[in-house]
Amino acid sequence: MGRWLLARLGRAAVAAWLIASLVFIGSRLVGGGPEQLALSDATDLSRPTGGGRTLARQQAAEQAVRHRLGLDLPLFYFSRTARPPVQWQWHGPANQYHRWVAGLLRGDLGYSYRDGQPVGTLLGQAVAYSLPLTGSAALLAVGLALGLGLYLAPGPAGWRRRLLLGLLAGWQVTPLFLLALGLLLLFANPDFLNILPGSGQAPEAASSVELVGYWLARSALPLLSLVLAVLPELTLPLAALLRHELKAGYATTARAKGLTAAQVLRRHALPNALLPLVTTLTDLLPTLVAGTVVVEVLFGLPGGGRLLAEAAAAHDYPVVVAAVLLSAAARLLGLVVADVLYFLADPRLRPSA
Amino acid sequence: MRYFWLGSLLVLLACACSTTPAPQAFAPVRLRWARDPETLDPLALPNQSAVDANNLLHLALLQIDYQRNTYAPALAQALPRAQLIGDSLTLLAYELREAAAWDSGQPVLATDVDFTLKLMHCPGLPNENSRAQFGFIREVHIDPANPHRFSLLCRSQGQEIVNTSGDFSVLPEASLDPEHTLRSFSLAALQDWPANRPPAPAVAALVHRYRQANVARHPNNIPGCGPYRLADWETNRQLRFRHKINWWGDNVQPTPFVLQARPRELIYSVLPDDAAAALALRRHELDVYPQVPARIFQQLQASPAAQQDFVFSTAPSYDILTVGFNTQRPALRDKRTRLALSHLLDPAGLMAATQLGQGRRTVGLLRPDNPFYNDSLPLPTYAPAQATALLRQAGWQRSADGQWRQPGGPPLALTLRYRATETNFATVALQLRAAAAQLGISITLLPSDNSVVTTSLETGDFDLYVRLVKSSPFGVNFMPILHTAAIGTGNFPRFGRPDTDRLLAAISTEGDLPRKRRLLRSFQVLMREEMPLLPLFFMPYRLAASRRLQHVVASGIKPGYAAMALSWPASPTPAGTP
Amino acid sequence: MKIAWPSFGAQPAFWLALGWLLLLAAVALLAPWLPLPYPAATPDLLHVSEPPRWPAAGPAHYFGTDPLGRDVLAGLVAGARRLLLLSLPAALLATGAGALAGTAAGYWGNQHLRLPLAAATGALGVAWWALALPGILLAYILLASTLVLMLLTRWPLPAAWLRRHSLAFPLDALVLGVATLLGAVPRLVLLVALAAGPPPSHWQLLALLTLLAWPGTARLVRGQMLQVRVQPFIAAAQASGLPPARIWWRHALPHASRPLLAYAPLSLAGLIGLESALAFIGLGQGPEVVSWGSLLATVRQDPAAWWVAAGPGLALFCTLLALQKVAKTGEKDR
Repeated sequence: MGRWLLARLGRAAVAAWLIASLVFIGSRLVGGGPEQLALSDATDLSRPTGGGRTLARQQAAEQAVRHRLGLDLPLFYFSRTARPPVQWQWHGPANQYHRWVAGLLRGDLGYSYRDGQPVGTLLGQAVAYSLPLTGSAALLAVGLALGLGLYLAPGPAGWRRRLLLGLLAGWQVTPLFLLALGLLLLFANPDFLNILPGSGQAPEAASSVELVGYWLARSALPLLSLVLAVLPELTLPLAALLRHELKAGYATTARAKGLTAAQVLRRHALPNALLPLVTTLTDLLPTLVAGTVVVEVLFGLPGGGRLLAEAAAAHDYPVVVAAVLLSAAARLLGLVVADVLYFLADPRLRPSA
Repeated sequence: MRYFWLGSLLVLLACACSTTPAPQAFAPVRLRWARDPETLDPLALPNQSAVDANNLLHLALLQIDYQRNTYAPALAQALPRAQLIGDSLTLLAYELREAAAWDSGQPVLATDVDFTLKLMHCPGLPNENSRAQFGFIREVHIDPANPHRFSLLCRSQGQEIVNTSGDFSVLPEASLDPEHTLRSFSLAALQDWPANRPPAPAVAALVHRYRQANVARHPNNIPGCGPYRLADWETNRQLRFRHKINWWGDNVQPTPFVLQARPRELIYSVLPDDAAAALALRRHELDVYPQVPARIFQQLQASPAAQQDFVFSTAPSYDILTVGFNTQRPALRDKRTRLALSHLLDPAGLMAATQLGQGRRTVGLLRPDNPFYNDSLPLPTYAPAQATALLRQAGWQRSADGQWRQPGGPPLALTLRYRATETNFATVALQLRAAAAQLGISITLLPSDNSVVTTSLETGDFDLYVRLVKSSPFGVNFMPILHTAAIGTGNFPRFGRPDTDRLLAAISTEGDLPRKRRLLRSFQVLMREEMPLLPLFFMPYRLAASRRLQHVVASGIKPGYAAMALSWPASPTPAGTP
Repeated sequence: MKIAWPSFGAQPAFWLALGWLLLLAAVALLAPWLPLPYPAATPDLLHVSEPPRWPAAGPAHYFGTDPLGRDVLAGLVAGARRLLLLSLPAALLATGAGALAGTAAGYWGNQHLRLPLAAATGALGVAWWALALPGILLAYILLASTLVLMLLTRWPLPAAWLRRHSLAFPLDALVLGVATLLGAVPRLVLLVALAAGPPPSHWQLLALLTLLAWPGTARLVRGQMLQVRVQPFIAAAQASGLPPARIWWRHALPHASRPLLAYAPLSLAGLIGLESALAFIGLGQGPEVVSWGSLLATVRQDPAAWWVAAGPGLALFCTLLALQKVAKTGEKDR
């Protein structure tokens, strides 16, 4: 089992590196690089350049930017001309990809094109902000999903269960930003209920209790929107599976032996229905690490999702590639964890090595 | 389980009961930014937030006076005296203020200006933008008798270089180059340094020192002579600026508008979503909300509570919503086709729909209150009958299936490019498409990412585009958008003939007012006849600010307000009070 | 498969759900001929972001207009058409493709699918020739060796040797790898890359949506297949000599696809959510293509326009509930 785990982790690391390489190469092949955004708008008449910005000067400026960022080197070890006659050319180690891999092996993720700061620091700060939020949202969602799934397992019996099922279906259908916007307009609106802040800064010189209270209040709305967005995805399939498990033979036997319905659910049906929940959870792992763009933009949180979105829009390749590497590594780690959990939960399964 | 939820809800309610304390005299002024400045390097200012921050930390020779919408002397004592030399050079004579000093107490001298200009041409620094903007300054002549006096020799004779020549932040030579190693190089030598030759060792050492200082993140390492210093920066969330304790500008009497720095502390919150920012304003977490979108402005004004707490102002800006045509495409080569298409746009309706009737309609690229505005031209209107007539005049014939064709040619089908994130552009595009569809012309909408749009516009891979033309109140130089030398960079319509080039050059250099008026009138008539682009209307800038703030100046120049002039009531000048 | 239709009195909810879905399909199919007061993608500049009005006479915006000026009622109809012609086929295709790939990966794993040696040399030769790599002679040698290997299978001795030395095709690793690749690259980056090209046509968009959605179902079904594979009835089928492909198709796949019935409506909702998320970030189709997701996205510009959120939101809600109800009733019959 240990050797299998090590092999899987090794494969996962290689796969993450491969994905990041693909994104690295793909991002530079897509046209319109960061040099365009580093230079100001050529049509901005309010900041005219004496003598006019001619084509030659613009191209010289773009070339200077590309040289400074290291984008004028060849992309990969070899390249292929697009048109016939097709020829392959060898470039040797003086190429952008080699530099990136060499840096990666040293632990250096490069420097952002926008402000020249090390990418590791940027990413670390952003993830450190979003991880606690998404982590607690995931824990909360899982706890609620288990509770609600057990509650809904007997099927839509009674108006309370029906209402809950309707609400869950409603939350599922609503896009995340509508949910977040709706919560903002509901709870942070002076015209309605002004009980929770949607943004703003920490009170200065406050006691630790006040600070904790402030952070709780500030993260309540983002947390709530994340939980509501993810909850139906976790609860509804779990409830359906539990309902299915309750029809199995062993459940009837357990009831016949004298266990209550709740005990049958919790002790026997739940472990069998947990596996798809585990799959869905591990699917959520990259979002956990990278953060959600929508919630972060709406609530003004400097998290990983916003960093990735802004870097992608600004063609800040080092940040994008590093974020993709992190997200891919998180996803692959999640897969390995899911396989381990599958093996632990159901001893009949063998790891497909 | 349920008590847990009840308990946590009670805790949340207890902690979050929001009361709005009345602002103290020295309370910080809180403003909204839509995006993070990303870098505070004074040589690289990639977006408006960075420019705003830079104006707080550094001073330039000339800065924008938002009350009068002109450039006013900040570090300089007065506007420079211009002297034309030959037919292509200008000499601008500046004198720095005697009182201007760095934080160390050393005065700001002409050598600092010279050093800053040379820094813009050092390779390896993110200064390509500054280099492109100020590359027209060729030489700096420092007066040997007076270290505060100098002249700039500029490689252009346009009228606007009087303003542009002073628009860069002056950096201290003493903190970056205490040994004055850069003085041995002339500015022209650094400008003409070939790109493939490695830089001189002194230059390389300076570049290394600059990089070590990491000004992009820690601008206090190279302190400027501006009134504020950066106190705190939470990336993508908030920036905090504190007034310097003994700033020289507070002692200049009488204090000009550009040297007024009243707030003791400025806090900029980065809130990317407009609706969330409006809610923050309503909750008194923000004091100033600049460039409010139209609908949110309307909603804010509609609430009586907001009317009591906030003041709303609108100012016409210099940004023009424009639809442009690719004049080199075969379908659009004939100007009558372009005129016909321009009659399918409804500027009045679009202004009513997107800007709620605010803004100013125009006949050309000049604002209606500009003294050179040609008021004898009619405003463009929606006239589909005239469009049909013009198409027929241009040789297009409507075939049986309803499409327009040149005899023996393909049907008239056009593509329209615009930035996907702008809803104003989407409304214009939809309106044009619907109006053209009624006539049988098919227009394909191609909303794209910003860089894709810019690349397509530069390479000419489009038929029509919708864009904002940012004109300026400081001059009338249209060469960057209509000159043939700018085809491939700023001249997206790819328009230009030798006679139009001469007209544009003459406009930018003409100093005599009656001649200039004639030239500009003929320019506007030319634009209306040739129609390479159709200006729809001037966009308004809307500002919402707390009613308690004093000296709120709503201006039409970006960013639309003057941060340093704001103050709370009953607060003396905060110089010297920690 | 016999379907026992429940009577209306016994399960009114089922018939309501079915009725709604049929109404939706009818509206979607008849959309070009419905007598709507305003066309879908035309902005009414005089009535931008207007609440619903029901005047006594004349055409009006019965469901209001969105912040771009488009009529919400026409948008609902156009969105229904887009749902029927794009989102629904994409969800079905994604579910189908995911089920096939996931069950195959789970059933055969990495060891059990065997390919002859000739396939490897043939593929390599074709790739070498197609990419025009230097040394074109090698491509011809590989292709020739493929032919030789194929000929060798005529004789029993080499055929047996070749069968023993066949290659194990790592199907599980391949499927998981491709699914991981598609899932690990954040959607945002993928979409920004796609936004750089020309806007996709209908079929390209269908393919794109299927590509984005199939890994989810594949992983779910693969996990279920890992459990089903070890069941005694599969062992019994294998013992009775049925070919593996038949066991997979007739017996393993239906059991492993069980969670998909609950999951399929979710993936449809996910696709619609993807559209509105695209519009939120600023990518996606132009404003002349109206869908429920893009209507919902315009709420961001005018949060007070509740009618723009209510119309498509309710429609989505009813559709999802209806789909779930029909799926559940279908499930009960098994």
